[in-house]
Amino acid sequence: MEAKTAAKKKAKTTKKKQVAPPVITAPPPASEECAKSAVLRKEVHESLEEIKKADILVGIPSYNNGSTIGHVARAVQAGLAKYFPDMRSVLVNSDGGSTDNTVCAFQDAVVEDFNSLFIPHRVSPLMKINTPYHGIPGKGSAFRTIFEIAKELDVKACVVVDSDLRSITPEWIDLLLSPILKEGFDFVAPYYLRHKFDGTITNSIVYPVTRALYGKQIRQPIGGDFGFTGELAKFYLKDESVWESDIARFGVDIWMTTTAVANGFKVCQSFLGAKIHAAKEPSSDLSDMLREVVGVLFDLMAKYEDKWSEVEGSEPTEMYGFRYEVGLEPIHVDIERMIDKFVLGREELGSIWQAALPAELIWYLHSLEPSPWQEFRLPADMWADIIYNFAIAYHNTDVNKTHLLKSLTPLYLARVASFINEALNANADEVEKILEDACLKFEEKKAYLAENWDR
Amino acid sequence: MDGLMDKTIEAFNRFFESVLQYLTNILSFILIIAVGLVLGHLLKVLSNKFFKLIKVDAHSERSEVTEMLNRGGITEPISSLLSKAVGWITVFVFFIIALGALEVPKVETLLGEFFVYVPNILVAIVVVFLGYMLSNFVGRTVLIACVNAGMKSSGLISKLARAGVLILTASMALEQLGIGRETTVMAFTIIFGGVVLTLSLAFGLGGKDIAREYLESKCKRPEEGVKEQKEDEISHL
Repeated sequence: MEAKTAAKKKAKTTKKKQVAPPVITAPPPASEECAKSAVLRKEVHESLEEIKKADILVGIPSYNNGSTIGHVARAVQAGLAKYFPDMRSVLVNSDGGSTDNTVCAFQDAVVEDFNSLFIPHRVSPLMKINTPYHGIPGKGSAFRTIFEIAKELDVKACVVVDSDLRSITPEWIDLLLSPILKEGFDFVAPYYLRHKFDGTITNSIVYPVTRALYGKQIRQPIGGDFGFTGELAKFYLKDESVWESDIARFGVDIWMTTTAVANGFKVCQSFLGAKIHAAKEPSSDLSDMLREVVGVLFDLMAKYEDKWSEVEGSEPTEMYGFRYEVGLEPIHVDIERMIDKFVLGREELGSIWQAALPAELIWYLHSLEPSPWQEFRLPADMWADIIYNFAIAYHNTDVNKTHLLKSLTPLYLARVASFINEALNANADEVEKILEDACLKFEEKKAYLAENWDR
Repeated sequence: MDGLMDKTIEAFNRFFESVLQYLTNILSFILIIAVGLVLGHLLKVLSNKFFKLIKVDAHSERSEVTEMLNRGGITEPISSLLSKAVGWITVFVFFIIALGALEVPKVETLLGEFFVYVPNILVAIVVVFLGYMLSNFVGRTVLIACVNAGMKSSGLISKLARAGVLILTASMALEQLGIGRETTVMAFTIIFGGVVLTLSLAFGLGGKDIAREYLESKCKRPEEGVKEQKEDEISHL
């Protein structure tokens, strides 16, 4: 009887210990310290010296994500406790100066009851570091701080997850880390189930172009939730100059994926299920977002010209995780408004488009009938021509690059409207078929890109 | 009698010396002009080759300078125009130097004043050039931003923005040249004030409903205000 009571007491004590992992919080940097590397800042450096070495680092970039970051941090803690209980793990929040309760929500996020999740006692403690990042405000700068901490702690594997996720589960941590720790991969890209109209920059530009260029079918190259080795984190830090570009902003995702693929790192995908996140991206302006992502995509085309020019076709990338179907909430889209913006762009931006597009393509765009909006179509082969010609113009002409990329927005909206019309009554498999056909058009027309790249 | 002869000879000598001096000045004038013409032509040819080498025509086409000149009826390539300008500036400089060689006091005074004024002209040219480039940049930036925001009057707004920069540029250039200094500042103030007042009235009277709807959507809770246009829920990334 006494033995049983003692065991119960011990269990309670253990439970309490698990509830409160140590939290190390670095205060905002003093102005003279801003120029220094994050890991060199006194508070963070002291924390890292205390931790010395870790096996796993999970990074969460944030900016005003107080309503969701707690859930993300708890899912990560549970995932690490459940799947990697004997590994020294560090959870890092790299914050962009949030004005809401993001920092507190992260610090207070603890798994109340591990037993209810059937998670046994952790062998190794989980450390939490909260630090503001420095540099250009954006997701990329937050990642840079995470990479630097990973380098300092000499971790075996890293994971980065968005702080606005509502659908993250502890299994995501297993799916993003296991291919690295158990299968020898260097980079794990996410594979989500998303609403058929979600991820339109991915579906219409980034996925087809990346696949056609580098020959790897990575379905979500800018998914935002990645797993990678500590060595790859160090590789990302080699070129200091990238952090002064749009890579410091939304361009970081495509940069990470492309860098891994183009430099021969072993890449795979993990099926994570549904991706549901808070309503809006932190940056509200679509044309800025498009400029940052597409600008980095085009810059990388110039950097890795010797790599992609030799690639023909594409091959599937290995996939981990158990695939299943999920129901996704319907989303509201205003197709007419998108077409209106395209027509307005067609009337007003002709002089800029002329710098990028051949006359026959401009003539074709003028021939598109905006009404009835249900019948509006911008076919995939024309869209591939548009994107490749913009890439060539971006590489060759002296036209202001920001103007060029921002003038792409009405054309992008036209393609999105066309895709939505095409996929309006299609199920998930049919939508994937439409996207697959579009990707094949990009692969077919790659020869045109290669021929005209240095015109 | 000897004195009379001496004075007469001295007068003649002075006259001949003056004529000789004047002829020397005229010869110097002609020689300097001739050298200027030859050098101007040489520089014109050389600069034309240089401008073509650095692809000035292509750059000016991209920066819409060619388009501006075409609108003004000038169809000649910008490299040719610039090389001609180099040639004529050389000739002009030599002409000024030649005028100095004539040693005419009035001309020398005028030249002095002219040389004091020349820097103002150069600064005004630079101001106009930079202002023109800036107006193109601002106009295009505003145009793209308005189109992406879906504003129907994007073209008009961008033209107004461009015109605003050009008016400011013109007033700065005129002030630099000292032409109607006070008048220019006053004219600019009146035009700018007038534009702002006109826009205020236009928005206040013509767009009062839009203004009310905008303010209501910003200040009132959704159920109190007018029905809001529903935003797209697509996540683009």
